[in-house]
Amino acid sequence: MVQHPLVGYLVWAALFGALFAWEGLSLAGAGSLPTLSDVFRVIMRYPVGRWALFALWLWTGWHFFVRGWHFLLRA
Amino acid sequence: MLGGYLLIMATLGFGLYRLCRPKTGDRHGRSLPAGRPGGLPAATGSRRGWLALARQVTGTAVGGYLMLMAVVIAYYYGVARVAGDFLTSAFTGTAMLIGIAVPLFGAASWLTGRRRRRGSDTTGEPPGRGP
Repeated sequence: MVQHPLVGYLVWAALFGALFAWEGLSLAGAGSLPTLSDVFRVIMRYPVGRWALFALWLWTGWHFFVRGWHFLLRA
Repeated sequence: MLGGYLLIMATLGFGLYRLCRPKTGDRHGRSLPAGRPGGLPAATGSRRGWLALARQVTGTAVGGYLMLMAVVIAYYYGVARVAGDFLTSAFTGTAMLIGIAVPLFGAASWLTGRRRRRGSDTTGEPPGRGP
């Protein structure tokens, strides 16, 4: 997997493409799919769901804005 | 990357499972109870509202941080020993993000509550809850 980082990008692209497609279809009312807002609202009813979402937010911020940006952590 | 993927899929899967579980009189479970999305209990006074908000934000930040650290540690020792200061960066970088985001969130909540109170003062409506 390390030798083929392109596969990772493709997986993420497919994942986010599916999410956007899902949201588009649900907002268009096709098949009465729940929107992502509905899903997140249900997740946030529970403390563990809020923890998981916050952990996801933290991971995203750390991955994109902190890791590798050493000047932010330089003493 | 794997950790993020697992978190996304587990969280969304749980939400979908709860949402699509059939309920009586609601095929898709969309009839959500009125109130705040986070399930914050309704508070009558502004002080109680602020305390409840602070408790919920603190619990969410601490719980989310610990959950992510557990995933990161499990990934590091169980899946791949990532080179460099991976664990140190995870602990300090995410703590720094919390240190930046939580005060900003508190300030934004305070400004929103203040604006809402000012609006209710000018229109003569009864003031709403604090946060």
